[in-house]
Amino acid sequence: MFSEALLLFLIRQFHGERTVSGIYHLLKGKQSSQSIQDSYLFGVKPFFHLCDDLERQSFQKLIERLHDCGWIQCVNSKQTTFIITEAGKNKLNKSGIEHTIPDGVKITNYVTTEGQFWLKLQLLIQTLSALRYHETAFLPITKQPPVTEAIRRIVLNRSLTRNELAHQLYQELCRLLTHIPRAEADLFAAQFSGYQMIGLTMKQIADESGKDLYECRMLFKSALRRLMADVSNNKSRYPLVASLISPAVSSLSNTAAVTLRLLRSGLSALETANHRNLSLSTIEDHLVEIALKEPTFDLSEYLAEELEQHIVERAHRLNTRRLKTIKNDLRENASYLQIRLALAKNTLR
Amino acid sequence: MEKMIDLDEEDWLRQAKTILKKKFGYRQFRTGQQKIIQDVLNGRDVFAMMPTGSGKSLCYQIPGYMLNGTVLIVSPLLSLMEDQIKALRSAGEMHARALNGMMHARERVRVLRHLRDLRFLYISPEMLCRSDIREALAKIKISLFVVDEAHCVSQWGHEFRPDYLHLARIREQLGHPACLAVTATADERVREDIIRSLGLHKAAQTIMSVDRANIALVVREVSSDDEKMERLCTLLRSTRLPGIVYCASRDWTEKLAQLVHCKLGIRAAFYHGGMEALDRRKIQNQFLDNQLDLLCCTNAFGMGINKPDIRLVVHFHFPATMNAYLQEIGRVSRDGQQGLAVLYYSPQDNQYPEGFINSNFPEESFLRHIYYELDNGVLTIKNKDQFLNDLQERGSSETAARFIYERVREKPVHQSFQSIFKRSRSIIEQRRSVLLRDLLVMKNYLAATECRRTYYLNIYHESPGKKPVYCCDRCGISLADFDQANFDDTVIHREQLMNWKERLPYIFKEGDRSMQ
Ligand SMILES: [Zn+2]
Repeated sequence: MFSEALLLFLIRQFHGERTVSGIYHLLKGKQSSQSIQDSYLFGVKPFFHLCDDLERQSFQKLIERLHDCGWIQCVNSKQTTFIITEAGKNKLNKSGIEHTIPDGVKITNYVTTEGQFWLKLQLLIQTLSALRYHETAFLPITKQPPVTEAIRRIVLNRSLTRNELAHQLYQELCRLLTHIPRAEADLFAAQFSGYQMIGLTMKQIADESGKDLYECRMLFKSALRRLMADVSNNKSRYPLVASLISPAVSSLSNTAAVTLRLLRSGLSALETANHRNLSLSTIEDHLVEIALKEPTFDLSEYLAEELEQHIVERAHRLNTRRLKTIKNDLRENASYLQIRLALAKNTLR
Repeated sequence: MEKMIDLDEEDWLRQAKTILKKKFGYRQFRTGQQKIIQDVLNGRDVFAMMPTGSGKSLCYQIPGYMLNGTVLIVSPLLSLMEDQIKALRSAGEMHARALNGMMHARERVRVLRHLRDLRFLYISPEMLCRSDIREALAKIKISLFVVDEAHCVSQWGHEFRPDYLHLARIREQLGHPACLAVTATADERVREDIIRSLGLHKAAQTIMSVDRANIALVVREVSSDDEKMERLCTLLRSTRLPGIVYCASRDWTEKLAQLVHCKLGIRAAFYHGGMEALDRRKIQNQFLDNQLDLLCCTNAFGMGINKPDIRLVVHFHFPATMNAYLQEIGRVSRDGQQGLAVLYYSPQDNQYPEGFINSNFPEESFLRHIYYELDNGVLTIKNKDQFLNDLQERGSSETAARFIYERVREKPVHQSFQSIFKRSRSIIEQRRSVLLRDLLVMKNYLAATECRRTYYLNIYHESPGKKPVYCCDRCGISLADFDQANFDDTVIHREQLMNWKERLPYIFKEGDRSMQ
């Protein structure tokens, strides 16, 4: 099954250096510096935010099944950290999962905005469909104020009539979906709601198509990311859909972006923490995220180049990315923050 | 008493009926509606108890068309507001809006700017407590002040909302418009509380029966879960749908939806609070749009849902109170046609409501420990959400966490947390014993050897009226009477298209649907 292979793959990548919660947060796309950093550190960037609708319980059940099958084993007493077994590796190799991962999911430039974009797209389709069929009242698919406001603006502030608007969206979508592999496009469009045709949930699509739920999620994200890339690269061809994509500020999480602005204005980490009423450790999380995503920002104040080299060297010799192991080795010579910064700066490039 | 409009009896009735027919498509008023509307039009304060599904909204919507000014409806339920506005829009009413905390600030400004044009304004109690909103409202003419779910004003009710206590004062500030207070369920104590707290003056009261004569009641005792599932399948194989199956847990909703779908080929889905908001909405809309025949759900489904043609409600597990049970079966056949409610129970089902009751409160040792941690500064209540989260991480249920928060918030400043432990414990005991008493009433209903309807009417101090043809299993009915074959419903089976080249043209009404 796809879901089993996917999890085995991730557990192998994480190599017992994170708890299963770390994997869960990765798939869920938790907007924390730790999860974002992990996605870079362990070479699993495409999987960040891949299953944003994942439920804790079903995820936990899947982990238990892998364990019962003898494909993974526990490495701590609390049953929270696992590594892959030989049997698991066999299973993983046979699945050939690395070759079945669609290219679309590897496009990660839009991952912070894909959730909002997807809601807006669905609401715009539903709204225009209702107008097209002269339905005066319908229950919108989402009530999130930023989403409904955006759609309201689009529907009201156009020089086009509503019928023209609907026709234009139809044409843009046809063109976009034609560029996407058929299986992905079908799965993508099956979620659209319109007049007397409510979109299917991911679970219903999985049942209908006989595919594994995790595979469906991946095909969907692949389609979504391909589509967003196509639109962003060809804004003039898809003006209406392009208006749904929020201008990409940076791939930083919003809160880390605020911290970066303050740091740039000359505040120290501690002053930033006080100013924002956040704990210092939160600001340190932001620093790590900044190290990953804003390579031009000067971090030498927190980590001298010499120390950075030293840490990287030790990590390399110890063959681990586990902070505690490295810290025990370096003792008082480096702080946790410095180790995290060093790893963040040096694993990607 | 000042009359709000000057019409004699004949005139107003004719006018009201014309509106009923033209705007809402009904030919006759239902029991109770006519008297309430008459009292409202006469400018009286009115208290009305109407069971869910008996058309209480018409009681202020019809006057809305006959009075000058705006009808203000205070409602605590967002989904209900949304549903009502949708219903009004469908009836061609464009001057109905809502004001609640979930809206975008810009949207709120838009509504406030056009207050004067509104015929109906739905508002949440917390919005009404804001002074800027109240000032804006004071400038327009409020023709009627409606308090929906009025039992929330009573501390005796199970849904007490402190915001509601300000309503009487706010009504004064808005120029003392006539007040209509409505609720679905309220015993005598709660009724008195409502009338007093809202300051209703010589209120005209209409108390409607909780009975829904068009719903037949069946209770079946079984010995195991397997037998239950078998019986459910037999029932669903022939009985008229759409229907709802209420379960006590999320797992069961998923299991049953799967079973029914695979075994009977019925278009079924599950619905529970653990799902993503978007998925919940899709499933709900599919059900409303007849793309689904059966919904297996927890009690998270139903509030504010308006689907008049649900024909069957099954309880796969019984709820903890008779109130909840009546509310849930009350969703059957709101259009007045014959409906059916079936409840299955087996001896091991007792665990669910008892578990539910227990999950409302923390265990004694847990509570003691939390107070200890608070006294020692390990835990703080500075940030409410953080505190609730901390408690849940320590193994508390969400409701128990809220319970603890309420207790520690009431603590006098200079006392230790440990010092309020005894009082907290006695509150738990009190509340638990109320809930257990309610549960006992529910269990007695299951075991009743007399007519089920007579039993529950007794609880509400009502005497039974004329016995309906299809009353209950004790009076003798046959499930075969509810067979799909006896009704000529035309079920629309629209395939749920998985092919985008067909789906997209349909959604946008482009070209021929069969086009390739
Ligand atoms: Zn009976």
